[in-house]
Amino acid sequence: MTYTISPLPHVKSRESVKSVMWGTVAALIPVSIAAVYLFGFPAIKVILATVIAAVVTEIIIYKAASQPITIGDGNAVLIGLLLALLMPPSVPIWVPIIGAVFAIAVAKYIFGGTGTLIFHPALIGFAFLLAAWPTLMGAQSTPNLSSFSDLLIETGAGRLVEASPALVLLGGAFVLYKRYVDRRVAISATILLMLLVLISGKGWQLPYVLTGGYFLGLLFLAADPITSPVTKKGRLVYGIVLALLILIQLHFDAYFTGMCFAVLLMNVFSPFIDRNTIPKPIGGK
Amino acid sequence: MKIATMKTPEQVTIPLQQHAGEVCNPVVCVGDIVSVGQLIGDGTSMIHSSVSGEVTAISELPHPAGKNVLSVVIKTHDGEKKDFKPADLSASKMSRIVRDAGIVEPNGLPTVYKKADIDTIIINGTNTGDLSSNAALMLNHPSEIVDGLRALIKSSGAKKAIIVIELDSEALHVMRTETIPDSDIKIVATPTYYPAGTENTLAKKFARKKVPRGSTPEDRGVLISSIASMKALYDVVHDGMPMIKKTITVTGAVRSPGNVLANIGTPIKHVIDACGGCSGTPVKIVMNGAISGVAQYSDEVPVIKTTTGILVQTESDINREPPAPCINCAWCVDECPIGLMPHLLYGYADSAQFDKCAELYIGDCVECGMCAYVCPSKLPLVQIIRYGKHGVAEMEMEIETGEVEA
Repeated sequence: MTYTISPLPHVKSRESVKSVMWGTVAALIPVSIAAVYLFGFPAIKVILATVIAAVVTEIIIYKAASQPITIGDGNAVLIGLLLALLMPPSVPIWVPIIGAVFAIAVAKYIFGGTGTLIFHPALIGFAFLLAAWPTLMGAQSTPNLSSFSDLLIETGAGRLVEASPALVLLGGAFVLYKRYVDRRVAISATILLMLLVLISGKGWQLPYVLTGGYFLGLLFLAADPITSPVTKKGRLVYGIVLALLILIQLHFDAYFTGMCFAVLLMNVFSPFIDRNTIPKPIGGK
Repeated sequence: MKIATMKTPEQVTIPLQQHAGEVCNPVVCVGDIVSVGQLIGDGTSMIHSSVSGEVTAISELPHPAGKNVLSVVIKTHDGEKKDFKPADLSASKMSRIVRDAGIVEPNGLPTVYKKADIDTIIINGTNTGDLSSNAALMLNHPSEIVDGLRALIKSSGAKKAIIVIELDSEALHVMRTETIPDSDIKIVATPTYYPAGTENTLAKKFARKKVPRGSTPEDRGVLISSIASMKALYDVVHDGMPMIKKTITVTGAVRSPGNVLANIGTPIKHVIDACGGCSGTPVKIVMNGAISGVAQYSDEVPVIKTTTGILVQTESDINREPPAPCINCAWCVDECPIGLMPHLLYGYADSAQFDKCAELYIGDCVECGMCAYVCPSKLPLVQIIRYGKHGVAEMEMEIETGEVEA
């Protein structure tokens, strides 16, 4: 009788890259539904077009490069969905499609694919579109939390994700609980940002920060495992510096886009933070 | 939780290396008649026969560690002949008793082997994952275990002893009751954590002694031992029985899983049969725990002193998912009990950058397997880190011998 031989461990946890990616996608479904409820058909159009464009681009590129197609891991769907949620509903359909192609082809594939990329692909897609077609990408209104019902359905939402802060938080709580995003980055950045806004004499801006866009940025985009640091100390540093950067953006009244660029800027420093926060093993001096 | 006794097997294979150290020299020849407890191997830790019978072979045979080791094969005779005399605690030193009785910890080291001023003794009574032999021993032999510990405290001159038990363990109450008269023995309840066997972590957590890198808890006056060793110590001090039996946990795809008392040298096939045999087709047999155990080539390998459990897995228990790229999720960093960066070690070792591995303290890895357990990308972290350790050792050798300019 021959037995299977392998190095330890002989049991492995059920979580896989697949479950992490699809789990994050699932956490974004409630807010997507809220966006469709609020904006109607244009929202469905944007979401479907972006996700399909991301998936098709990935298939074509990986096939052309004769690399194994990894659509099943859900990463392309996640990038597409995140990008779609950053769009205003009024955007012409070809704009997010170009954004998705750029996100997958440049930010993901050229930088080496899942795991090695430096910048969050959805944010790169967003930044590219914002630079190329600023007028088309502009939101019609800037949301702020003026009444309690705005938490559930924000009628002043300018982008899909802003439709419901509560549902983004709900999805965020799920991914934080499952560790699909980094807890240290997400929690340190969110709490510090709220505190800083309150004590910096800019308290009147707090309602602008308690919106779906900020929650998505802090809980899903900044805390994305691939682009954030890995050391325990480094993740805290990352969250703290990010909160400071966002505060500076707020000072110049740059709300949602300001936050996106703060996250992209922090992505650059992620390897640097890691290199300088390597821990000493137990018993080390 | 019962400990089942097993029928003495018809034949035992006793490897002459069941401890960390050199292979023992056999002191019997083929054809010799031996009795239970008779010395058969002489070395840094003695090895005794676990049955009465005739030595039929002394040759290199499969060992649970995955290599062939010189072993003594004994064919059992009917009727046990015993060759015990109780050890005299007052006359000889504990380290000598431990060596003569061949008592070794689950990590392969003798319980007492160093000359050190011991201040605190920590007995690890936690159960790792699927193994429950510690709990079973405490529930079935509480007074023997505490007696063994008392002997160890007396001989080592320790001021206090701590028995660490999980919060939800049934043994907690039993052991608390048992140690009421002892003011120097404390029972500490801990939430379940893994890996519970890392010595330096135990010393830091329960004796509040920080052990610097490169030294052992003994250097800081902390002696770490196990429940099984306390039972073995009792057996030798009270009955004179050397370490010839071991309580092991049999789990997985067997019909009646549980704890059994097996003679050292019993083939694991025999142990599995004693637990009702396999349910389903066995595909993998793992010794010593699902996470950090060793997969076995054959079911003919014997139970040895360091064996704590046998796990039988069927095809559906095995994850054969191919590895995906690392996604920097940092779960391995969060889990590492030593505070290393497993995914960086993996990356550097995989690309043979051994100098970088050494900079990241690869030698401190205790191979608990937690990083590879949680990894969502299913990377073979432990395997590659072992390769990295080997590479670092080779690199250091080359620098030492001057083959390569450092």
